[in-house]
Parts: sequence; C-alpha cells; structure tokens
Amino acid sequence: MPKLLPWLLLVAATLSAQAAPLRVFITNEESNEVSVIDGATNKVIASVPVGIRPRGIGVSPDRQEIYVAVSGENTIAVIDPATLKVVRYFSSGNDPETFAVHPNGNLYISNEEDAKASVYNPRTGELIAEIKVGLEPEGVAISPDGTRAIVTSESTNMLHVIAIPEHKLVANILVGARPRAAAFSADGKTAYATSEISGEVKKIDVAAGTILARMPLADNKAKPKDILPSRDGQRLYVAGGRANRVFVLDEHTLAIVHEIPVGKRVWGLALNQAGTRLYTTDGASDQVSVIDTVANRVIASVPVGKMPWGIALLE
Amino acid sequence: MSPPHRRPRRPRVRRGLLPLLLAASTLAHAQLEVPLAFVGDPKSSAYRGAQEGLAEAEIQGQFLGQHYTLVAATAGATAILAALPAAELQALAANHPGVAVLNLTAQDDSLRATCRANLLHIAASAQMLADARAQWQVGHPGSPAGAQVWHRSFEKYAAAQLNHRYSTLTGHPMDDAAWAGWAAVKLVSDSVARAQSAAPATLLEALRTQLAFDGQKGIDLSFRANGQLRQPLLIVENDRLVGEAPVRGVAEAEDLDSLGVVECRP
Repeated sequence: MPKLLPWLLLVAATLSAQAAPLRVFITNEESNEVSVIDGATNKVIASVPVGIRPRGIGVSPDRQEIYVAVSGENTIAVIDPATLKVVRYFSSGNDPETFAVHPNGNLYISNEEDAKASVYNPRTGELIAEIKVGLEPEGVAISPDGTRAIVTSESTNMLHVIAIPEHKLVANILVGARPRAAAFSADGKTAYATSEISGEVKKIDVAAGTILARMPLADNKAKPKDILPSRDGQRLYVAGGRANRVFVLDEHTLAIVHEIPVGKRVWGLALNQAGTRLYTTDGASDQVSVIDTVANRVIASVPVGKMPWGIALLE
Repeated sequence: MSPPHRRPRRPRVRRGLLPLLLAASTLAHAQLEVPLAFVGDPKSSAYRGAQEGLAEAEIQGQFLGQHYTLVAATAGATAILAALPAAELQALAANHPGVAVLNLTAQDDSLRATCRANLLHIAASAQMLADARAQWQVGHPGSPAGAQVWHRSFEKYAAAQLNHRYSTLTGHPMDDAAWAGWAAVKLVSDSVARAQSAAPATLLEALRTQLAFDGQKGIDLSFRANGQLRQPLLIVENDRLVGEAPVRGVAEAEDLDSLGVVECRP
C-alpha cells in the first residue's frame, strides 16, 4: 500500500487537472443562439437562444455572468453560467457589434450604426458614457490596468484610444483599411490591431500614438479579424479570416513563426488561462477549432451553430 | 543638459506641460483646409454621392485635423471630381495638369487608353462592364444580366451600412454614380489624412502609388497604370443582385484585372 500511494496521488492530480472545468461559449450569428462546449470532452453541451444576430460575447470579472451583444435587437443578453439561461436583457444603444469587459465590470460597447462607443454598467443597465468615434466602430480592447480602451472604426480606418475613467479620446491613429480588432500587450504600452481590407497586423505605441511595425498576412489577402497575445508575451495569435489559418507571430518583431490551418473564415479567438489551448470560431465552417499551442496544431474540431462569430471561455 | 540650479523646477514644468503636449501631438493638429471641386450637375446622384463622402471625410477629419469642402471653383482645389462627357473631361484634365481629376461617370474606354497622368477613373469602363457580363454568361448562358458598379440592395462587406447612410442623408438609393462620388471623396480624404497634405501633386502621387482603398466591396482597391480604379462589379438581373465579378470559377475572385483593359494604348 505505501508503494501505491505516490501513484494514487499522481492519478488524483492528473484527474483533477483533466477535470479543471472549462466551458467555451460561442455566439452563432445566423442561428441566433449561444453554443456551450465542454472543454474536457470538446462536445456541445447546450444551446442557449438569445435573439437575432448575436456577435460580441464576454464574461464578468467575477465569472458569474456571460454577456452577449444581440446586434439585431439592440440589447445585451445576460446568461447565468450555472443555469445556462438568459436571466435578463438590457438596452445597449443602437446595433451593438461587440464589447470588452473592464476589470471593474463595466462593458465598453461599439455601436456600429451610430459611430460611437458606449459604456454600460451591466448590473444596473445604466448608460455611463458615450464617446463619439469614427464610422462603423467594431473592435474594442481594454488595457490590463483598465486605464485605456481602444475602439477601431472600420470605415474611417482608425484606432481611437480612450482614457478611462475620463472617457476622453487621447489619440486617433490612422491604420490600414478596415481595422477590425485590437489587443493590448500585458504591460498596456503596446497595442496590436488587424486591418481586414489591407490584410495586415500593426503594432502601435499607445502613448505616442505611433505605428511601430506592420506585417502583411498571406500577401495582404488574409482578411484577419481577432488578435490575441500569448500568456507568456512572446507570441501573437491572429485569426486569418479568408486565409483559413491562425497565424502565430513573434510579439516583438511581428515575424510569422507558425501558420495553423483551421476551418473557413476564422474570426474569433480565445485562450485558456494556462495559455495551452486556443479556441477559434471558423465562421463559414460552422465549427470551433481547438488548438494545442505547444504543438501548434488543431486537436479537435467541434460543430456548433450557424456562422459562429464571438467566443469566450469560462474556467 | 540643464544647469543644476534649474533641476528642482523641472518636475513642476513637466506636470503642467504634459497634457498640453499630448493634446497637441494627438488631437489638435493645425487644421488642414481641403477644398474639393465638383464639376457637373449639382442635382446629380454623382454629386449626392460626393456629399455623402464629404460627410464621412469630415468625421475622419475631425479626429485627424482636416476640413473638407465641396466647391464649384477648380482653381486652388486639392482634387477635382467630374461628372462630365468624355470630351469635356479630357479638356478639364488638360487644363489642370498636376491636379487629380476623378471621372465619376464616363465609361469610354478611349479615355483610359490615353493614360493621361492626372485623369483617374472611378467609373467602370464599358469594357469592364462587358467583361463582367461575359464572365457571368459562362455559367449562365443567355442570361439577360448586366454589370453595375453598385446596387442599392448590396449588403456584403458593410455595403448595407453604406447604403443605409447614403439613403438616410440624401433620401435616394445609392446607384453607380453615387457610389463613384462617395468613393472619390473617401479615397482622396484617406490619402490626404495619411500624407497630412492637401497639395495636389502629393495627393496625385499617393493615389497612383499608395492607394489601398476600402470601397466597401470587400477588397482593397487601387488605380491601374492607365488611371482606372480596379474594382469588383455587381451582376444584376431585372434589378436584382445575382452575383459579383470577377465571377468565381471563371476568374480568381481577387483578379480584378480580369475586368477591362490594364495597359495604356497610345
């Protein structure tokens, strides 16, 4: 028996590591529902109807609520992750495309038709601020320390840097055509943005408002969307859109170090806390790809609803 | 290096100046005046399209420090938008060397063949429209469908948002000439903002060599050596949108040069 003890401990540790609860929440733009995937089995375990054209999705800092931008109904749906039911809706301004969740819990929402970003308290539904930005705002990112937001305006080709809590614009940075998504580095000093029509990634000095580097993807033909830094700050993951690949870039130089084939029109990206699993929404393949970020390859493809768009993880 | 006795003062000065410097470098550019001339009928849809483009250019300009106006006088204009027949267009371009003249409506291939350095064509040429129709007929023999630059029911690539903005502003559906007017102002304003210059020669050079324009048609648009804007076209049958050109299966979707003539033919 004493000989068995270390083995039992090892088995128990392995089991608990495998059982670490991770669920993946996916908005399906054309089937008006949120698919829920069990991260242990890579199977869909629930489908939650939310309303017309769900796109952006995010998790509250306390992990007690999931928010979904229901673009076609001008609302945010709030899902209880325990019951997987919509518990309430609140009005979010016209045509909410996507949003980011601030560390204080507030939502920073891009209102595509109204050329503005709006800030809501999701607990009360209260509108806290509105910030005028360029045409067709889409991507929203918040710096890790919560003092800056970036909103991309797709039809005026800008990144708007917003100071928090003042909610004032502090920089407007012209980038390539149709900027879709942005992300901050861990220290918040650098931002990265994708431009769909110019098919590139740009690296930006946030304080100076200047462009530090650019990298074309697939001869500028990729139409990239989401962009995410790795947990170790060494890599950037880029959803390659029409290139049907995830590009793995060196976070410092933007050099492409890996290309991982996934489904068609890959748009959304989410990374687990450990940084070992990357999940993608492959819009035109109606699936989610699960990537092992050590081996840089797909280990599972999970069929979901129609035209999966946004993605968020709950661990 | 500051003399030692001044050192204690520096933090105070920096605290006061920093917000001002930030504001100056990122927001409060000295305003650049950018007059754009429109030559043609101010009641035309080309002009209405230019008005929509102006409204959008002004939104970008308020963030980046440009102020755009649509004017009738060509003297002193950063660029000239024209909705004119071929002969008048040629004369206008000849009278304004070094200033970009943007053709919004004339489809004559002869205008492209002359390759005049300052004449740029937003309108599709007759040959481009014919090639698009021919590509469509490969898979749809006998189809009565024709090719257009734009259609009011086009939705992909945020075309729906542009159609909505245009009809809200003007009360009209966006047609080919309106798209051309809009596109002309937008590609000019984006180039002016990037160069931070309203000089006609700087703009003409940027349009010819650096353009990667989002015409809300899903691909970056640029000018051919003969001055023609490369662009996808829409296939329309009985006023219903049925396809896009380059037609897949016949040409590569990105091969915009499969439509119309690319070279100069002096």
